[in-house]
Formats: sequence, structure tokens, C-alpha cells
Amino acid sequence: MAGVFGVTINVLMALGVAGGVGLWIDRGGRRSQVRRILASVAGVVLGGLTLWGIYASDKLETTAQGVVVSIVASALIFIVANRLFDLAPDRWAVFTTLVGGSITLIVFVLMWGNRIFDQPVLRTVVAICIGAVAGYLLGTICQPLARIGIGALAGAALGLVAASGIRTVILQFQVEQRTFDVWPMLPNLNIGELILSTLIGAVLGVAVWALRGRKGSPIAPLIWGATLGYAVGAWLMPRIGTGTKTDAYIAAIGLGLGLGAAIGLTSIPDHVTRGRIEGSARAFIFLIPALGFIAATLIIPTLRTLFLSFYDARGEGYVGFENYTTVFGIPNIFNVEDWTGIFGSRLFWVGAVLLVVGVVMAVVVGRQSGYAISFSPGSGALASIGAVFAIFAVFAALRGTLFNNLWWVFTVTVVSATAGLAIAVLADRSKGESVAKSLIFMPMAISFVGAGVIWRFMYLARDPSKPQTGVLNSLWVGLGNLSLSRGPGFWIAVVLVLGLAAWLAGLAMRAWQAGERGIGAGSAICALPLVWFAYALWQGIGGYKVLENGQTVASTITFTQESPFNNVWLMLVLIWIQTGFTMVIFSAAIKAVPAELIEAARVDGATESQAFWRVTIPQIAPTIGVVVTTLIVLVMKVFDIVKVMTNGNFGTQVVANEMWQRAFTELNFGLGSALAVLLFLAVLPIIYMNIRRMQKAAQ
Amino acid sequence: MTTLSRSAGPGLGHRTYAFLRSIPTWVLWFLVLLWTIPTFGLLVNSFRTRDAQRTSGWWETPFQGVANNLTLDNYIDILAAGSQGHLWRALLNSLAIALPATVIPIAFAAFAAYAFAWIDFKGREWLFIATVSLLAIPAQMSLIPLLQLYSGGGHITLPFVEKTLTLFPDLDLAGRAVSVWLTHTGFAMPFAIFLLHNYISGLPKDIFESAVIDGADHFKIFWRLVIPLSVPVLAAFAIFQFLWTYNDYLIAVTMLGGAGQNFPATARIAALAGEFGQAEHLLTAGAFLSTLLPIIVFFALQRFFVTGILAGSVKG
Amino acid sequence: MKGKLIRLLSLMAALALVAAACGDDGDDTSATPQTVVVTSVVTETEVVTETSIVTEVVTETEVVTEVVTEISEVMVENPLAGTTVTVFGPESTDAEAGSNQAALDIFAAQNGMTIQYTGERSFSDLINAQAAGGNPPDIAVFPQPGKIADFAREGWLLPIPDDVIATMEANVGEAWTAFGNVDGVQYAIPQKADLKSLVWYRPGAFAANGYTVPTTWDDLKALTTQMIADGNTPWCVGIESGGATGWAFTDWVEDMTLRHHGADFYDEWVAHSIPFNTPEMHAIWTEILDIWNTPGAVYAEGGTIASTGFGENGRPLVDGDCMMHRQASFFSAFFPEGTAFGPDGIDVFYFPSVSGDRPVLGAGTLVAAFRDAPEVWAVMEYYATAEYADNRQRFQNLSKGGGAVLSGFLSPNRNADLSLYQPIEQSFLEILFNAEVVRFDGSDLMPAAVGAGSFWTEATSAVNGDKTVQEALDAIEASWP
Repeated sequence: MAGVFGVTINVLMALGVAGGVGLWIDRGGRRSQVRRILASVAGVVLGGLTLWGIYASDKLETTAQGVVVSIVASALIFIVANRLFDLAPDRWAVFTTLVGGSITLIVFVLMWGNRIFDQPVLRTVVAICIGAVAGYLLGTICQPLARIGIGALAGAALGLVAASGIRTVILQFQVEQRTFDVWPMLPNLNIGELILSTLIGAVLGVAVWALRGRKGSPIAPLIWGATLGYAVGAWLMPRIGTGTKTDAYIAAIGLGLGLGAAIGLTSIPDHVTRGRIEGSARAFIFLIPALGFIAATLIIPTLRTLFLSFYDARGEGYVGFENYTTVFGIPNIFNVEDWTGIFGSRLFWVGAVLLVVGVVMAVVVGRQSGYAISFSPGSGALASIGAVFAIFAVFAALRGTLFNNLWWVFTVTVVSATAGLAIAVLADRSKGESVAKSLIFMPMAISFVGAGVIWRFMYLARDPSKPQTGVLNSLWVGLGNLSLSRGPGFWIAVVLVLGLAAWLAGLAMRAWQAGERGIGAGSAICALPLVWFAYALWQGIGGYKVLENGQTVASTITFTQESPFNNVWLMLVLIWIQTGFTMVIFSAAIKAVPAELIEAARVDGATESQAFWRVTIPQIAPTIGVVVTTLIVLVMKVFDIVKVMTNGNFGTQVVANEMWQRAFTELNFGLGSALAVLLFLAVLPIIYMNIRRMQKAAQ
Repeated sequence: MTTLSRSAGPGLGHRTYAFLRSIPTWVLWFLVLLWTIPTFGLLVNSFRTRDAQRTSGWWETPFQGVANNLTLDNYIDILAAGSQGHLWRALLNSLAIALPATVIPIAFAAFAAYAFAWIDFKGREWLFIATVSLLAIPAQMSLIPLLQLYSGGGHITLPFVEKTLTLFPDLDLAGRAVSVWLTHTGFAMPFAIFLLHNYISGLPKDIFESAVIDGADHFKIFWRLVIPLSVPVLAAFAIFQFLWTYNDYLIAVTMLGGAGQNFPATARIAALAGEFGQAEHLLTAGAFLSTLLPIIVFFALQRFFVTGILAGSVKG
Repeated sequence: MKGKLIRLLSLMAALALVAAACGDDGDDTSATPQTVVVTSVVTETEVVTETSIVTEVVTETEVVTEVVTEISEVMVENPLAGTTVTVFGPESTDAEAGSNQAALDIFAAQNGMTIQYTGERSFSDLINAQAAGGNPPDIAVFPQPGKIADFAREGWLLPIPDDVIATMEANVGEAWTAFGNVDGVQYAIPQKADLKSLVWYRPGAFAANGYTVPTTWDDLKALTTQMIADGNTPWCVGIESGGATGWAFTDWVEDMTLRHHGADFYDEWVAHSIPFNTPEMHAIWTEILDIWNTPGAVYAEGGTIASTGFGENGRPLVDGDCMMHRQASFFSAFFPEGTAFGPDGIDVFYFPSVSGDRPVLGAGTLVAAFRDAPEVWAVMEYYATAEYADNRQRFQNLSKGGGAVLSGFLSPNRNADLSLYQPIEQSFLEILFNAEVVRFDGSDLMPAAVGAGSFWTEATSAVNGDKTVQEALDAIEASWP
């Protein structure tokens, strides 16, 4: 905007980046023309969009240049750093020369950027030359005294170059109405302090040497300690800005001298050590970008959160563990008053009985085939449904944000992982596999705002006198009408259900006689709920209620409001979204199981069921670990769905949303931070155990 | 459940056996139907007026006379709404946020994952566990410190000596897409490293050994061997990360603040519904429009998922 | 030794990026004026197209076009030329945010500046994050005076200069300006007003049944009983509102408190010098819930009161499922498209007072500034003028279709042009300007933990019957920070 020139530069830069990216992508591929074109197109699109994203912010175009420059610069730095360390093992002198030059460059550019001295270009160029020469000499000369001399001399020279040009006036500059004063870097030296601090540093250096087993000569730690002490005494302790130029010379040259001498004290490493240096440095170079981001976006903010959790609402007064005790004192967050209710609930006992029956069945079947326990689809389903029921009963009695979160973690993890695995298995090599998988995966592509709208139409209730517009309530009320009507529809339904049950019962008997215990038990188990359903239809089931005057009217369920099971309806939304994720990963893992293994199991006489449980499952066990870990972490932090659908009302609060409300709505950062810390601590052991287990398995 | 099939013994009739064999397919398509109904309802409702959405279920549409019941008004309204930038612009913004926020973390995480998997250095295991443990951090609490970093730079005041050092210069990033990329990159890092490390560490050891014998260094091994071999897992992560960043609302609006012209589609659509939900019926059309793009991306890349190119992208 | 050194060096190498960024800071921090001039002209063209799309009223477009042609001369000496001001607020639909932006654009065009409004639904949370994160907008539109007080005490907001206060006082009555006053310092200017003490009804249905509009509280109760006896459902009630579920009930509570116990009691209650769980409060809650729980008294579109969206009460009133609905002036936006307002369609009456003092419960939005700059104060001053009020009303009326529609916007500005409003809206304004007792929605004045938290949620529990009134009141009292 400020001239065609600037725009042109930016466009050229973007094209450069785009081309670079394109060629880069291409390097990995084969030398095919199509690929190269595709890669270039991808690069151009990416570069263009990047540029557009920057321009869209209608801020100064210097930002655009800044971003492009920093991308290019960081890529260059990265490549150069890698290339540099390639040299280390075999061409040591070249390596040290370059290292000397680049370190000086970095230090001087940093000072230049902070406007510490005048004539920065000249100074930096001179400094680089000094650094490079010193590096070369230190990389070739072995004589210890000469090395110390060279190091000290070069350090002092660099100090002189920097100090001679130190700015002596106060610099003022404005950033959006705020004025900043930058004082000149002139330390107001106190010679006594300086000497004292140097001495303390030296003593500490020797002390460290002594404590670490007195290896080698004490001179090196002595000089390092003294230099650090000197740095503290010269640059940290005195007031910066009020000193004289002489002070600056003393402070800078002394520091350079010490550092140079300390570096000169080292000897040229042998080939093995060089290799080790190269390896460690490489690991560091590879890790630095990722770790830098992690530190800035996760570690530092988390430390701040931890700190704030011990302070009051506005982060001003220290309150100790009060926020943590408060958390457990608020009934909406932590409420175990009704724990005896667990044993009074029918759901709990039904669940317990199902669980026991399922396990007993599995043990019996397992005995026959020589395993301690062996779940068939039937007994497995029975046991897991029983467990789910029992857990639901527990969480329906223990209320509050914290228990809700645990409930979420259990339900969504178990159901989503199971459903994902089941769909992956069912879809594997079946007809229309890609269509089915794509449709299951589709909810992953929908935003939480979208998911909120979608599920509103599922859960919506309307006045009973009106036709229902929510899918589930419409079905529920429809079922009630059917059950009450005693018309032809009712009889058809009853006969259908009972017929299906009878057919299943027959199948169960025949299968049992044929020795297919698994199918027999499975069919029988499926038949039971059908019989129950027919009975319920007869008794009356569905959305209606009988008034005092005997009249029946429709009755709806307000799915998101009826506590505690409204939690389950919210979980269903996350399960709906997340199963696509688990399915995709399980599907990939199943396809990776070598077909020979399954063939071999079949040849050994295993049924498909047994082959699945004894070959496929162990083969994909690590994947199950990854999926479950990911799910637990993800669900523990569940936030958007609750925020969009109930905002934590009606007993559906979860920790992340509670934290958000406390910290951002109520501006109570103390309590919000305490909740965040609790959340982190709760997930930590799960992750730790999983990683350890996976690492052991890998070894 | 495929498991039921072939095991059916001779005691069962041929027809029963055939029926049992088809059960898995039936179950699968039943599940697919269940999974699709909610989205299908949204699609139908997005073509209905506000009153129709409120007074009758979407499934009744065919019985109400399609011609006078369906309307494009919601789409027209949402595309015409331009007081704070048109929706197409917000969609472009979404892309401008999501694409870099997908590519940057992949690049960085691949380096880190390789280092954790194949370079020997002291404290490797410890550092890896620490990195992945950060998965547990609830990102919301990081938003304010990050916003402070972007809008004012990072400074640290040393205790006792009272000196303030600048660790990160004030680049005035808040309100720009850049700040959203950086935030997504940081938040994605632990999961990306976790996923990529699982795969890269499972690559066969001998190819690395022979490469080292050939004189290749880590840099070369990474570019020539690891990256081409890791395409499946990179693609898998790219898809997940793209979907997450494209559909993100919270991080984008927090970092962009009052810079509404840079808001992504998720924020723009939520805004169009109004403070009190005056125009909530528009959300149907909006949600569908904004979902179209990721669905296209997914279908374009779905061969990665179904034809087994992804196979083994997640190993132990 | 060497290994460590090298590691240190490689760390520094990574810092070089930072260095490059430091390299030429300060020099490019100031905006280049030419850049912004271009932007502002672009905005002008946008205004023109926008109005020409929306309107048949040609004059509007012409006004703006003239302004555009004038810009080049104005800019030369106008100190505001080339500046940019950002405004962030909760109004976000195309109609509301669009009219606000259009009204601001007129001022911007006159001065060759750029004013950019951003509306977001979750404004309340976001503004907290932005202020705490050091990236606030220049001006924010607050729907809650309680938050203005919080922000002012944090030192985030700037006191308004005297000349701007003078403009405001010339235009806005003291009852409204007081909401922007914190500890004696003026921080905010009223921008929009809502009148809450209203009952929407259908005159046609009243006439058909022989009902008359009640003028006293006892009349209203008698009318309710009468309607039930006649087999009519008197009230439409719904308090669901997503994350803010429960606020519609709190409005009833506030209105009733004001009626039963007067403004002084109300102020003390809001300021928490009276505990929340006083017997008076218990009596009021019980009275409201008694009305709502009387069989046949309430039609709840969503099955139950707590699951009925507050916005879903418009259609049943039109359809005749119920006879009355108590809701604020902005509720006109929630009636089905094409609903007529006035004696022949949907009308309103004043929510009757108990002792005849006719108190008014209001709400609205106020603008406050985060940045001290001439252009920011100029925009703030513009918000206080009748020009803003009139421009906004004109655009909002157009955006709703123009002509005899209710715009949903009311200005607290006494000098606003009443002829721009429909008769029914004029009657709102009359109540607003002439009421002796005006009080702001109490939940917007209380601390967020109560006013946007426990008050709503506990009220919902009481309405649902999950808690008794006393339990709910005790819980709110306990949550007061």
C-alpha cells in the first residue's frame, strides 16, 4: 500500500518462499514432472494464503516483510546450523572458525538490535573478523599457553570494540502512545563490589569443582567462576545508565578477557569427542524449535497458572492452599453427600448382576479352551454393559464438577474406543467401506458450534400439546402413542418383537445343540431385551403421562436439563464426534496386521472370533494404548460441547468450563488456576503410566 | 462380529448361516445411518424458514409439499450479511489460519520426533515424557499469558537485582493471524510429537544403520529417509490438525480480539446468530457452509484412510 | 566442557531470529498516514454500496456520497483524518452490528477516519481476556454496568474528559448517565436503552374475551385468575437462553422487587448491603413461582419453562397459545416475520406497579474507552450525540425492512428525533424519559459470579423444582464474592 515497491518486494518474497516450499516438497518425491508441478502449486497456494493472511490484518506491511524474513531466516539458520555441525567431526578448524564468527555475529547483532552502540555495521564486521580468526587459531593451535593468550586477547578486543561505541545518551521511542526510555548501557561501577563478586565467583567455581570429585585441573572452573562473578558485578549489580565510559570499558573488556581465557583453556577434542559433540548438538538443533514453542505456549503459562493458584482472585494477595480447599468446599464442584444412594439404585444392582454374569460366562468358556478368561462378543457385551450401568449409578449419586469429569472420561473413552474399533472391524474389507467410513468420520469436520445446533434439533422438546420438532422426543412421544393406542400398529409391533424373540430363542437352542455355545448364548441374550420390550409396550412405555383424572397426555424429555443423566446426552455428542477419530486410527492399525498371522491362527483351528481376540487384538494393543491415552486427555479437557449446549447448568458442569467461568467470566484467576492445576495433576499419572508402558513395550 | 460368521456349524441351516454372515454389514450400515441422521437433519433444516424449523420436524418436509416448504433464504441471508465482512472472507480467514497452523507444527514436530526417536542424547527419555505430559495442560489458561506476550512482548524481572530483561520483543502480533498460528503450533506440539514419535521410532533400524555406513548424517537421513517414509503419519496428523484449527473458535477470537475483519468463519457465523440468538435459524446454513470445506478436504484425502496408505501410521 | 559450550552456542544460534526481529524495531512502529487514507476511502465506498443494497430511501445514499466527495478537502486540516478507532461490542447480528457500523461510518467519513466495529456473541468473556491480556479495543460497548465498575477499579478504563461529559449531559438524562459513573467518576456513555417493564399482548384477543389492560398489580393477578377460569392460558414463559439460562426469571424478580419494596431497597439489595436470602426476596420468588406453577397459567413452548427458549415465546403469543408475555422492548425481534405491531396486532402494556409509583426496569449498553487519544474521544462524543442516535435508528429501521417496523433499537438520548420511531416505540421512549424511578437490570450490576452466574443458575433450579426457594437463595448468598 505504501508504494508499489513494497508490494513488489513482498510478492517476490512470497514467491520465493512458495518456490522454496515447492522444491522442498519435491525433494522427497520421485523425479516426476506431475509431482513437481503439484508441489509447486501447493507451495504457491500456501505462500499466497500466508501472505493474504498477513495482509488481511491491514496492519503495516512491515509485518509481512517481518514474517517472511523470519520464516526464511529461521529456515536458513536451521539449515546452516545443521551444515555447520556436519563439519565438526572431520574439519574441526573450519568448524571452529565458523562457530567463532557466528557467535560473535549473534552477540553483536543482539546488542545492535538493542541499540547499545553506534556505527553498528562497522563494529559488527570487525567483531566477526576477530571472532573468526580467534576460532581458527583455537581450532588449530594446541599449545595451552598460546591458546589462553589468543582467547584472552580476542575476548578483550571484542570487549573494546563493543565498549568504544556505547551510546551515551538516553534513547526515547514511542509505541502506540506509550513512551519508553532506553538508558545507555553504562554501568555505574563500584570497584569494591566488582572485586568481591569476582572473588565469590572464583570461590564458587572451585567449590563446584571440589564437589564434583576434583576431576582435572581447578584452573578452568576457577576462571569460569571468576568470569561469571565479574559479569554479575559489572553488569547486574550496578545501576545501568548512570556510569561513565571508563566504567563501560572496564566492564566489557574484563568480561571478554575472562570468557576468552576460559575458552582458550580447553584443548582440541579428539575425533570421538567431536562425534559426540555433533550428535548432542544435532539433537538440540532438532528439538529447539519444538521445545521453544512448548516453552512459550505451555510451560511458562503453566508456571504462571501454578503461581496464581496460590493467590487471591486478582492475583495480588498470597492465600496458600485456600483456593484448593475452596474447590472441595463448593457443593456444585464436589458433592459426595448422596454416596449411599449408589446402593439404593436399581441401575447399580442390574449393572452389577450383568457384570458378574458376563464375567462368569467368560470364565466358563475360557476353561473349556484352556484360557483363564475368554470373552465372546456376547459375554463381553454383557460385562461391559453391566460395568457401564454400575459406573453410571455411581456417578449419578456422586455429583459435582469433578465427578462429572470422571464420568465423561470413563464413558466417552470406553464407548468411543469400542465403537471405533467395532466400526473399523465391521467395515474392514466390506462393501462400501470407504463410504461408510467417510460418513462416520464426517462429524469430525463439524465445528462445535455446528454440533451444538445439530444436537439441539435432536434433543429439542416442545409443549406436549404440539407436534415435537426434536428427533428423539418425536420418537419417544410416538412410542408412547403406539403403546397406548392398542390399535393395529400396536399389535403389529408386539407380534413383530415377540416373533423376533422367538426366532432368536430357536436359533439359540439349535446353536447350543450344535455345540456353538457362543452363538447360542449371544442369541439368547439378544432375545431377552426383546421380550422385555414387548412386555413394556404392553404395560405402556414412551412419552406420555396419566393425569389425575385418568386422561393421558404426551410427555417429553428435556434431554439437556434432567440431571444427572443429561450428562450422558452431552457425552453422546462427543462420542458422535470422536468415534471418527478412533475408527480411522484403528482401521489403519487393523490393516497393518500381517495377514499371515491370522491365516496361521486359522490353520491352527481358531475360529474367526478367536483369531480376532488372540491375534488381532494383541497386534493392535499398542494402538489401543495410543487411542485410549489420547481420548482420556482429550475428554478430561472437554470444554466446547458443555459450553455450547448447557454452559454447565443443570448439573452438567465440567472442570474446563468451570475453570473458564471462574477465571474469565468472574475474573477469579486464583480459583480458575487452582482448577487448571487440579485438572493437570489428574491427567498426569495416566499419561505417565501409558508412556512408560509403551516405551517398555518398544524395548 | 465378523466373528460370528464362518464359525456357524453344520447344525445350522444354510439360510440361517447366510443371514448370520450378513449381520455385520447390517450392523455397520445401521450405525452409519445413526451417525448420519443428525447431520442430515441439519442439512434439511438449513433449507427451511425460521418458523418451519420451530413448528415442525425436519422429517416432515416431504409431507408438506417440498416446493413451498424449502427455501434458500438462510443461505442468501448468511452470504449477504456483510456488515462485518462477508462470509467468504471469513472462510478465507479460516484457511489463512488453518493452513499455516497445520504446516508449521508438522515441520517442527517431525524434527523433534526424529530427535527423540533416533538421536542418542542424555536425558532423552525424561525429556520425551515431560514433553508428552504437557498434553494434559488445559490450553485455556495459557491464553492470557500468550496474549500478553503477543501484545507486549515477553519480559522477565530478575529477583534481587531488579533488572528487566526482554526475552521476546514486542512484535505487536495480537490481532493478526500470525498470533493464532503460533498459538496453535504450540498447543499442537505435544500431540504431534507423541503421534509422530510413535511412528518414526517404529521404522526399521537397519535402514538407518546402512545409511550411516553410507556416510549420511542425521540431517540427510531425516530428509532422504524419514520424511518420505513418514508420509502416512504426516498426512494423518495434518488432517486432524487441519480440522481442529479450522473449527477452532476460542483461540482465534481471543488472539484476534477486536480485529473482526480477521475472524474465521466459526466466529463470524456464531456472531450472525446474535447476542440473544435473534437469528439462530441462520446457524443451520452457516454451520453447513463452514463444514463443506473440511468435508471436501476429507473426501479428497480419504484414500489415505481407506486404501491402507495410512496403514500402520500408529504403532506402539 | 567443550560439549556444554557447544550446546550453549547452538542455543544462541536459535536466538538469532529474535535478534533479526529486534534489528529494526522502533523505526517502523509509527503508522504511515498515507496508508490509512487509502483505507478510509475504501470504507466509504463500502458504505455507499451497503446503503444502496438495503434501502429504497435514496436520500440516505446521497448524503453519504456527498460526504465521500468532500473527504479530500476535509482531510487536509482535520486532526482526526487518517486515524483508526476500533470498537468491540456484544451486538453482532447483521442488522444491529451493521446499523451501528453504518452510523459510525458516517462520522468516520465526515472526518476522514476509520472506525471499525466488531461484534461477538461471547463479548463478556472475551473483553475480560482482552483487557487482562493487554490487547483491549479502543472502545468497548458494555451491556453490564457492573463490569464497567470492575474494569474502572482495575484501572483498565479511562475517565471521560470534561468536554465529552458536557456533550453527554446535554443529551442524556441523569438517570441513565449514572450507570456509567463509578465512585463519582464518569467512565461510560449510554449508547442504547432497553425497557424491561413491559407485557406483550394481543389487543384482539383481549377484546374478544372482554379483558381490559390491567393497571395495578391486583388487576393483573385477577386477570390471570380470570383467564385460567375462562380456559385461556394467561402467560407464555420461557427462561432458556443457552449459557445465560435463567435471566428471564431474574428480570421478573427485579421488576417485582422494584414494585414491592421501592428503589432504595433495590439499590441496597443490588449492592448486597441486604443479604440475598432476606424474607422479602423469599416472598417475591414465591409469589412469581406461585403464578407460574398454577395449573393452566403458563404455556411453555419447549415443554417446561426452563427448557423453553426465551425467544420462542413470540410465536405462541401470535398463535393464541397464551395471552401475555412479559419481556423487554427488544423482544420485537423475536416475533414471526410479518407480525404487525399496534392495536391490530401485537401491543404492549406497562407491567403494572403495586403502589402506583410506576418504576421502570431498564437495561442497555454503555461505551467506555481504553485508549487516550483525540480520535477515541471524538468517537465517544459522537456516541453521546443525537446524530448517532438518529443515524443508528435510521439504519436499523432500514435493516429490518424499513417503514412501519420496530427496529429493536431505543436511544437513551433525550434529543433523539422521535419521528424516526414507530408509535409503539415512541411510547417506550416516553416511559423511559419520564419515569421517576429508573433502575438498571440488577443482575448486570452485581458481581459476575452472582449476576452472570449463581443468580441465573439457582433461579433455574428453583423454577425446575430441583431446589426450594430457600435453598436457592441461600446458595446465591453463599456465592457472593
